[in-house]
Amino acid sequence: MTVFHFFNCAILTFGPHAVYYSATPLSEYDTIGTSAKAAAVYLGTALVKLVCLATFLKESENGNFDPYQELLKVLINFIDVAGLYFALTQLTHRNISQNHKFQAVGLGWAFADSVLHRLAPLWVGARGLEFTWEYVFQGLEANANLVLNLSLAALGSLMWLRKNKPRILIPIIYACAGVLATMPSITSYLRRALGWQPAKAVGFELFSSLMMAFLSWQLFSACQRPA
Amino acid sequence: MAGRRRGRCGGGVEVLESIYSVVALVLILVACVELGDAATAVDVYRLIQYDLAGVPYGSRFGGLNHHAGAFPFAPGADFSRTVVMMPVRELNFTFLREYIINKQQLGGLLFLLPQKVSKKIVGEIKSKDDGLMRKILVELEQLLIHASIPYPVYFAFEDDKINALLADVRRSDATGQPATATTGGYKLVVSSPEPKKLSSPTITNIQGWLPGLKGDGDTNQLPTIAVVAPYDTFGAAPALSVGSDGNGSGVVALLEIARLFSRLYSNPKTRGRYNLLFGLTSGGPYNYNGTLKWLRSFDQRLRESIDYAICLNSIGSWNNELWIHVSKPPENAYIKQVHESLSDVAKEQGVTIGIKHKKINISDPRVAWEHEQFSRLRITAVTLSELSAAPELLKNTGGLYDTRDSVDEAAVYRSIRLIAESLARHIYGYQGRNIQIFADNSSLAVNPSYVKSWLDLLSRTPRVGPFLSKTDPIISALKKELSDHTVEVHLQHEMIDGMFSFYDSTRATLYIYQVASVAFDLLLLLVLGSYLILLFSFLVITTRGLDDLINMFRRPPSRKVKAS
Repeated sequence: MTVFHFFNCAILTFGPHAVYYSATPLSEYDTIGTSAKAAAVYLGTALVKLVCLATFLKESENGNFDPYQELLKVLINFIDVAGLYFALTQLTHRNISQNHKFQAVGLGWAFADSVLHRLAPLWVGARGLEFTWEYVFQGLEANANLVLNLSLAALGSLMWLRKNKPRILIPIIYACAGVLATMPSITSYLRRALGWQPAKAVGFELFSSLMMAFLSWQLFSACQRPA
Repeated sequence: MAGRRRGRCGGGVEVLESIYSVVALVLILVACVELGDAATAVDVYRLIQYDLAGVPYGSRFGGLNHHAGAFPFAPGADFSRTVVMMPVRELNFTFLREYIINKQQLGGLLFLLPQKVSKKIVGEIKSKDDGLMRKILVELEQLLIHASIPYPVYFAFEDDKINALLADVRRSDATGQPATATTGGYKLVVSSPEPKKLSSPTITNIQGWLPGLKGDGDTNQLPTIAVVAPYDTFGAAPALSVGSDGNGSGVVALLEIARLFSRLYSNPKTRGRYNLLFGLTSGGPYNYNGTLKWLRSFDQRLRESIDYAICLNSIGSWNNELWIHVSKPPENAYIKQVHESLSDVAKEQGVTIGIKHKKINISDPRVAWEHEQFSRLRITAVTLSELSAAPELLKNTGGLYDTRDSVDEAAVYRSIRLIAESLARHIYGYQGRNIQIFADNSSLAVNPSYVKSWLDLLSRTPRVGPFLSKTDPIISALKKELSDHTVEVHLQHEMIDGMFSFYDSTRATLYIYQVASVAFDLLLLLVLGSYLILLFSFLVITTRGLDDLINMFRRPPSRKVKAS
């Protein structure tokens, strides 16, 4: 029954990505290549981030919340944004509309993130006899992460690919993108410094990602309308 | 050029092969990830498993993999797949007897022993609780070792985690049926291999020889006095059988007496005209099998030179009464002499020594006291013990209750003084004289810290004879200690008699997992399935429109129309 649990958590963690791909027109236009390229860029970004963390971050002695270190971590998280920029703009994609491009890139990005961060703990942990809610929470986190990455990709494409945006919306777009980029730091701050329970933290993540997705959807459709 | 290219191709193939091997290694590693992430891991000690004359006794299995259950049970519940956790403090003997004697099937049995109490002040009367616990443990032990139990039985010590777990299990048991695969709960897993018979268990006798002073022109063999004590134990949990009183007290007394006499004998002026033979024998619980083999190995001259032998058995928890057990009638001259020498000294020390006579029945294989083995070979021998009646087979051999708290150092100290004093008076011919050779505060005083430290060591060392190898640390320690005090030390390794055979695997680690039920997993699957379906429909509707969703499930009708 423990493999059963592993199977459950696996479909919770990776199922939405597959469902998203097959449900939306992405599957019709066969954008798997784009997603694969985005996943590769994510791997590269993760490597760069690791090197930076290892170089610049000091090991904290007592595990308490150190603002300076956290600030450094936030800055390093912006490398994520740079990676996304690279994936959106610099790679050559086939002729797919911008609408689908950001979705494919976001999907590939989120899938690589899930696999890299969640597959190994799931394989090692969820197959044991001992039951914990940890892996179900991890799966829910993966879902929130998918929504987050899609919104970030959407805003990214707005920022870098669309040329004619309504003037008033530009600062809002940048603000939202900033919030999205720092979301991982915010959740880790909530977990470590404020000591939130895992259930509460995951609930917050889901809620915030849905809010941000709604906001970016509104912004995106606002920019769709001809100026 | 072609050669280089081929070289590069060959190199490429090598790289590929190494990649394959790395991938294979990773896959193997990944597949072998063990379920070591239990909530709790506890040291447990298995019930002994042995055969006596072919009849199986004890727990016949080692591996355990079932759900936990505890009192109070729903009546008529089935326990064949449950491990019943029973704290010894609140043991329900009726239930236990019913299950064991009627041979009903349980998944397993886990007894929770109370944590060792902290050291009491020496000489304090044992509290009523201790007495009750001792009675419970004795009864439990006798029940378990004389029954054949077709499921694993383990002992563990109580601690906070286990108590919390027990409370949890009790709470969930009280609400419904005992935990099974479909209702979640706790799973207890012991993954030990099947217990195998010990192939050729050896028991080791250790003897030390302290020669007396032979005068010039003295051609005859000097007379010998033997001091003997069995050092091995037998109990329900062999990994916990430390036998502090039975017979750790006897061993410590023997060692201290050896030490005192080695001091006396080191100076030729004070060396007595008796040889002293110290014997630490094994095989005590099994009708003193080791003693028999030890005695048989003596040559005739040595056997004839033994004046008498004192066997020590459980002298660690008496107040003011000891017993001499004999097999020759008390009127016998030699026995009278030994009794008198001991009771004279005892009277001076304010202690009474009673004498008990038990005739030997040659046809009876049961040997209740060690001196009987001597008597069967016509050597005068007595056993000094605090027990007033002969113990039955496998009783009073150092079991679950016999830990450090059950022995009193002061009693051992008194015993040593008594025995050493009476031996010395006999050796140096001071019978009847009021002289204290081993007086307190003299250089020959009994050393209380020596006694204490050896008692502590023996109370930490389980000593079931067949489980001790020939080079076991405790055997080496005893050998070294005797060789410090005596001139010649000799180890004798023997095979235990064919009647008893033992099985290994005496300790293991118990892993306790908190598991969710199959029902829970199915429910979760249902929820996730519906979530994914909803997500799918939502995405299709928002991105492609409702019609697309409906069209996915409808076969295109036009073809049918065309066919007709």
